[in-house]
Amino acid sequence: MQTVKMVISGAVNAGKTEFIKAISEIEVVSTERRATDDTKLIKKETTVAMDFGRIAIADDLVLHLFGTPGQKRFDFMWEILSEGMLGLVILVDSTRPETFRETNRIIDFFVSYRDTPYVIAANKQDRPNAWSPDELRLALRQPPHVKVLPCVASDRESVKNVLLELLYVIQERSED
Amino acid sequence: MALVGNIRDFGLSDFLYLVDRGYKTGGLHLSHGEETALLFFERGKLVMAARKPEDQHPDLLVRLGILNEAQLAQARASLANRDNGTTLTDVIIEENLAAKEQFQGALQSFTEEAVYGLFGWPEGEFLFEQNQRPAREAPVIPTPISVDHLIMEGVRRIDEWGRIKDRIPSTDMVVRFLDQPGERAKGVKLAAEEWRVFARINGRDTLAEIARKTNLSEFDVCRIVYGFLTAGLVEVMRQPRPLPVKGGATVADPPRVKRSLVNRIINRIKGM
Repeated sequence: MQTVKMVISGAVNAGKTEFIKAISEIEVVSTERRATDDTKLIKKETTVAMDFGRIAIADDLVLHLFGTPGQKRFDFMWEILSEGMLGLVILVDSTRPETFRETNRIIDFFVSYRDTPYVIAANKQDRPNAWSPDELRLALRQPPHVKVLPCVASDRESVKNVLLELLYVIQERSED
Repeated sequence: MALVGNIRDFGLSDFLYLVDRGYKTGGLHLSHGEETALLFFERGKLVMAARKPEDQHPDLLVRLGILNEAQLAQARASLANRDNGTTLTDVIIEENLAAKEQFQGALQSFTEEAVYGLFGWPEGEFLFEQNQRPAREAPVIPTPISVDHLIMEGVRRIDEWGRIKDRIPSTDMVVRFLDQPGERAKGVKLAAEEWRVFARINGRDTLAEIARKTNLSEFDVCRIVYGFLTAGLVEVMRQPRPLPVKGGATVADPPRVKRSLVNRIINRIKGM
């Protein structure tokens, strides 16, 4: 059985757990705990270790989805989770510009040392005052070739679209 | 749809960059304690800035010495007979009530100073109302101002590491020009110190090395490069991390995957 891995990252409350739940075939293994730091101002429970989802591709192939914890004190987990990943989805809460700086830090961590295929998912596009993907591209200073995609993490079709767009990026870099 | 936030989290220079590169038209409403400000942009360029409600009133043109009372009255009377697409500024120029250069110079100086003062705000709520335009009678600048040099001036007023470190986490990073910096730089007025740094950017030297070669402090070099970054002239990159090698490829390289495997995953997800 071959397993391949994708990582879903983003700042606290970007929607990582919801994203994986929307597409995973198994009940998502989350380690949500009552927030004990500043995070509690944003949400009562948050992912302090990681989320894990799974999609069976065929009898001999499985796709694992790992959601990283959002808090800075769990940065060490990112290195572990990123080892051997096929690609990366960076989720952004499009309604909270106060998280854009942290999002840039996460992109920098995952992308600056590695040529990691990634896309940015502009989550919560169904909310009023969500920044559009074009505006997020400028806010996050992303070059034109990086895909910044509209997303609603609770909507399975929207999540599928983000994963497919990431897979197309990976496909371009794959070998025959 | 409005863009809302706080300049503590998304700085004014970052917002000006977004407006410039996004060719945005609209009104930026800012508030900090008792203070408020209103900036209008047309296709990414600044056309008006008001720190007080009276700065949006045509009387400002008299206060700045651009028109006298009689000329202003004449302009307003003419405007009343014109179509909705015509502004007071159009009337003043068309009827030669003020020399365009003098009009531009006086109003541009006033507007720039109004904006520079905003960079001193440590925080403040902002709301950008897309496609909002000034009133027809508002004192709008004849030739809109490029925001590039406003950004540079704003960054000159940054005196703390915190914001700079968001973009430049280490002085071991290398600076290089983005495509055609010469074209971008045309709208930017650089000070002597900034030229010294600008001239040392070669895509190889780190910020620390530039500081050494220019005899400037690392903070000053980072602050200046932060300005170039914010204005979209340069990018900073990490130096490649020395990594152990496994079979000819660094361990940091993502795995090379077979196209057939990727295609299988694509087909599966499409079918879900």
